[in-house]
Amino acid sequence: MEGSAVAVCEILKYLIIHWKCETAGTSKGALLEGQLVISMEALNSKHQENTLHCVTTIASAGSIYGGLVLKKFLKEIQSLLPGFSAKLNWTSEEASYSQDISGVTPFQMIFEVDEKPRTLMTDSLVIKNFLHKIVMVHPKIKFNFSVKVNGVLSVEVFGKPKFATAELLCSRIHPVLGHPVMLFIPDDMVGMGLLGELTLTPAAALCPCPEVFPNQLNRISSVSIFLYGPSGLPLILPGQEQPTTTVFKDTSYFIDWKKYHLCMVPSLDLNLDRDLLLPDVSYQVESSVGDQSQNMDSQGQTLLLFLFVDFHSRFPVQQTELWRVHTLLTTHLSAILMESHSAVQDSIQVAMDQALEQHHQATKDLQKFQASLSVAVNSIMSIVTGSTSNSFRKICLQALQAVDTQEFGTKLHKSFHDITRHRSLPYCSCETKQQLLPEENAEENTEDVQENSLELLAGTSGQVENKRLQQGLEETRAFLSARGPSQSEAAACRTKPTAASLTPSGSRASPGGDLEDSLWQREVSNLSEWLNPGPEP
Amino acid sequence: MAFAPMGPEASFFEVLDQHRASLLAALRRGGGEPAGRGTRLASSSEVLGSIESVIQGIITSVARNEAPAFTIDNRSSWENIKFEDSVGLQMASHCTTRKIKSDSLKSVKKFALILKILSMIYKLVQSNTYATKRDIYYTDSQLFGNQTVVDNIINDISCMLKMPRISLHILSTSKGLIAGNLRYLEEDGTRVHCTCGSTAVAVPSNIQGIRNLITDAKFLLIVEKDATFQRLLDDSFCNRMSPCIMVTGKGVPDLNTRLLVKKLWDTFHIPVFALVDADPHGIEIMCIYKYGSLAMSFEAHNLTVPAIRWLGLLPSDIKRLNIPRDTLIPLTKQDQMKLESVLKRPYVTCQPFWRKEMEIMADSKLKAEIQALTFLSSDYLSRVYLPNKLKFGGWI
Repeated sequence: MEGSAVAVCEILKYLIIHWKCETAGTSKGALLEGQLVISMEALNSKHQENTLHCVTTIASAGSIYGGLVLKKFLKEIQSLLPGFSAKLNWTSEEASYSQDISGVTPFQMIFEVDEKPRTLMTDSLVIKNFLHKIVMVHPKIKFNFSVKVNGVLSVEVFGKPKFATAELLCSRIHPVLGHPVMLFIPDDMVGMGLLGELTLTPAAALCPCPEVFPNQLNRISSVSIFLYGPSGLPLILPGQEQPTTTVFKDTSYFIDWKKYHLCMVPSLDLNLDRDLLLPDVSYQVESSVGDQSQNMDSQGQTLLLFLFVDFHSRFPVQQTELWRVHTLLTTHLSAILMESHSAVQDSIQVAMDQALEQHHQATKDLQKFQASLSVAVNSIMSIVTGSTSNSFRKICLQALQAVDTQEFGTKLHKSFHDITRHRSLPYCSCETKQQLLPEENAEENTEDVQENSLELLAGTSGQVENKRLQQGLEETRAFLSARGPSQSEAAACRTKPTAASLTPSGSRASPGGDLEDSLWQREVSNLSEWLNPGPEP
Repeated sequence: MAFAPMGPEASFFEVLDQHRASLLAALRRGGGEPAGRGTRLASSSEVLGSIESVIQGIITSVARNEAPAFTIDNRSSWENIKFEDSVGLQMASHCTTRKIKSDSLKSVKKFALILKILSMIYKLVQSNTYATKRDIYYTDSQLFGNQTVVDNIINDISCMLKMPRISLHILSTSKGLIAGNLRYLEEDGTRVHCTCGSTAVAVPSNIQGIRNLITDAKFLLIVEKDATFQRLLDDSFCNRMSPCIMVTGKGVPDLNTRLLVKKLWDTFHIPVFALVDADPHGIEIMCIYKYGSLAMSFEAHNLTVPAIRWLGLLPSDIKRLNIPRDTLIPLTKQDQMKLESVLKRPYVTCQPFWRKEMEIMADSKLKAEIQALTFLSSDYLSRVYLPNKLKFGGWI
């Protein structure tokens, strides 16, 4: 696929890699921080029917792109996008101001294309998907993404920390790291001149946290796999041809699902329109046998698997080399992973074992809890209904504002469950303290790593699962942030897997979650205008 | 009382009578029996009201959106135990507690089981029926898991409500036996006439309910083991030493056996002696009768008989009687640990003679069962050892 989306994504990747390399020597372990503005402004083409003339602008705030050699940048970007028809323009001195775009900076590049409304819509969704994946690993990079079609504007902000009062429910996932493994390069790729080594670190987690629905027995219904390359950049774009993910077509190539009494099939139901955050690979549970609790009426849980491929070298890594690695992984990841099949399989399996062990334990604990509460409630009911003391019964009914013992029983049951669902789980260190500042990552304990800076509470829209995916993925960037920033810190950054969930503390609600929902809905509602462009308002 | 006078002549009991006199004098000096400060018998309405009060507290917590919890005294913690010579081991007035929470995975099951048993007690009291702990366990053995869980929760409830188990209409199964000069009426009117023959009577389930106790026994002998008790029955010990009463708890005594011993002491104030093996386990069992147990310390006033004396088998008897060494058994590691533990208990400090006997045992690292006396002669125990001990005051 060639289009604006690919261009924007490649440019962003290039910029971030450059940025990483520039900052690697100065602030090790620090998260990249800055702001980028992407805007797409489309108007009905004067020359072609049913076509929009779209001007895409990428601008940055601050001087984060100091050191960028513009001519070289343009030339390299153009070479990366051979099929891209538009010409990239650079305006570094003058600014092209638009009142809808905030934080316009001296750095700005623009390109113009003509494309169909449907293509523009898809491009927009692809870019958003890409931005979502980036901010999970780089929460301090803020993206302002706006789309204006025939005067109708929608804006979305990615990566802005949102703080609110504490929620009692856990809005996070709790990734479990597998041990990093070195990846072997296939023989036919040895000559590509990599002067370092590739490592893979898997992380697995369940989404949502069992605490979110503490009174439900959740089954695993799907698996989502996300692939990240060096510098914490997503390896692939949705909708692209995927040689990168060929190896995952065999669902059991790396993971023994029978061990968990699960039968997985590749999921083809990936809809960019519907899913805010599209995984790179998706599996669906076909059937599950054995002792896994099945409650087909309950919401299924998604097993998330993040595969982080990183590049380490004893020498300072040049941007070009990093870019080459990224490109290599984009096209040859399957072959590389297959070359190290056994090691990769072991590492992934360890992470999965731990993540699912928690699930099994959570299910057992939940059953135990529910059974005990049921006994407690029934016992109380037995005494209250059997009592001959009028005053005692009256006091009990009044306490729960019930008119009769039947209502009393219902309210008692509900009250008990409401109160006790915020119990602490041994494997989930979710805290309910009110916190307004990001916390440090207890596991990594790196001064510059700020944990939980982007905790968002899941929205209540139909995209609940994806929202939680998004939030939960923010957690994983903590594991990357201490490892990724400096490629020369290979050994130190290989964190050991722990059995316990690497759960940072604190959970927060976000009013922004609702804002995102409403913006998304508004954007979707604009699609019909794109598909059927009428006269300009 | 019309018992056939088969026992020794009256002079035989002189020392015993003197001992009894001294015990009575001590009682008078001490101002009589201390009033039951622990649990006390409660009426049905009190029990029901107590349980309703507990339930009300839970519902109030729930209404306030707080997870309810039980606060239970730590019955089995030595730090909550104090020792009083006249009572034995009892719970301290300000003792540590623990919370059984409903919102904790670790304790939610116990929270639920406490409520379950409370509801069962409620029904028993309302219907004026009784059940044993075993009955309660079998109402839902899968839920409870094992008998110990039920037993502990019942004790916790008894301690929490400050009411004895009998007031909760829960009976403990008796395993003890009685023999000798004793008659009484059970609560349901059954006349019980313990005999001096070769058969014994089971300790009744409802000790609080027995009345019209009649005896002219000169002493009460607590026998640790059933084997020894049966041996004495076979040897017609009760006849030969008549008038007397014998009781056995068949090892660690159940609640009813302890209650019976206490009741006999409270009613008749006759000398009470313990006949236990000369080993740490036997000494501990004797201490349970005399001073009480850790687990039941909250009911100490109803269960302990501090006036009990150690009759035999004393470690010093082993050497004195030249009991063959090959009949003695070396102390095991567990024995030594238990002996050390008993020596550290607060009540040993006011029993210097007991301490000395235990030190003899610790030094020799040997123990002996009562059956070791059969190596001297088969009926040495009933014909020589015990009569001499009783006649000449060989107790400590």
